[in-house]
Amino acid sequence: MKKGRILTGIYGLDDLMDGGFRENTVNSICGGPGVGKTTFALQYSLFGLDRGEKVLYVSFEMSERQIIRDCKDIGWVAIKDYIDDGDLKIVHIFGEDLEFPSLDITEIIKKSIPGHHPRIVIDPFTYPTFYSDKEKRKSISTIFQDLRTLGTTLVVLEEPSDGFSATNYGIPGENPHMNRFLATPLYLSDTVLFLQNLGFGEMYDRTIRIMKHRGSKHGEGIYPYSIETGLGIVLRASKKQIDRITPKTKFDDKFKEALEKTKSMGKLGEKLAVRIESLRKNWIHDENPQPILELVLEE
Amino acid sequence: MKIKLEDTLDQLYEIEGIEACMLYRIDGVPITIRVPGYREYLLETMFWLEKHISRVLGEMNREGLKETIFYFRNNRILIVPSSKSTVLVTIAKAEANQQLISLEALRATRIIEDNI
Repeated sequence: MKKGRILTGIYGLDDLMDGGFRENTVNSICGGPGVGKTTFALQYSLFGLDRGEKVLYVSFEMSERQIIRDCKDIGWVAIKDYIDDGDLKIVHIFGEDLEFPSLDITEIIKKSIPGHHPRIVIDPFTYPTFYSDKEKRKSISTIFQDLRTLGTTLVVLEEPSDGFSATNYGIPGENPHMNRFLATPLYLSDTVLFLQNLGFGEMYDRTIRIMKHRGSKHGEGIYPYSIETGLGIVLRASKKQIDRITPKTKFDDKFKEALEKTKSMGKLGEKLAVRIESLRKNWIHDENPQPILELVLEE
Repeated sequence: MKIKLEDTLDQLYEIEGIEACMLYRIDGVPITIRVPGYREYLLETMFWLEKHISRVLGEMNREGLKETIFYFRNNRILIVPSSKSTVLVTIAKAEANQQLISLEALRATRIIEDNI
């Protein structure tokens, strides 16, 4: 496991996300009805619980009883034991009951599980209501800032079902409803995963796209997934797709040449060398980096 | 299944005269593509395809067409639906053997349909 990373627990996803979510970040999953958002959130929780971590699950929709039942149906029977042992705390509240979401959510989390706990889930985050758009952005920003200090959070965002049409299929940016309801949390999140289901029953109907993953390399394709009883979400990326985000070492000599040239450039060269070294470690392309390196050295 | 798809596109891409071939989802999201590195004119065509593929497919469905051909600059763009939710696009040079490319594209769509 890469240092500073929290594994998502989704089979096949971490390879495409540079080793998982970054520690102490807010990560959103977004999608329409029936794509598996709650399954994703529960799988993320259970992965941590199985490894002795503590999890707080804030549910604005499903009660503890419903969550236990859904988990049992998918084959995750251990959930009841985790609740009984105090490792998993499920808090069921209504978004409308929060008077000041930016204060209340953080307070609820702090009171529910004291101390540092790496996994927090808010499912769904669409329910808290805000007075105005201006207040909404500030509140969400405050909530996310606080969440980052408390642990690694997974936020579930529901895409309104009326946002679907024959032309946009709920793709963010193409959907006017998305802008109104989801744009702010998506902009403020560190990672955004977009789950989709076209509903034709073919391999590429259920797909995950990694829309953003701050400070990390990530796959930029669409990856088919299925929801399997007992396992949950299983992603099927091809070897070629994984290879596309794996750093390549075959151009190391080009980077070495560039690094040599920086030595004669004084203080600026030293700073440039750090950047070039970082580029070398993360060069994922099959193309020769020579033109880019020349451009950098010329400047 | 996925390997079969990738292999099918690899074989199609090897045909002389084909500059690029892509498998799109019907909403214009590229599933897998074969392109020869950076070519500005290909990039423009791909942007156009991403934006318009769902509309083109709608028109094809209305008119009962099994394939559609567009000509952009010196390229012939062949659009063939390959399953309920996917569409195969080949971009070929105008002087390439178009009959061969059409036949091979059709063959590829059948393989894709069986494996998706």
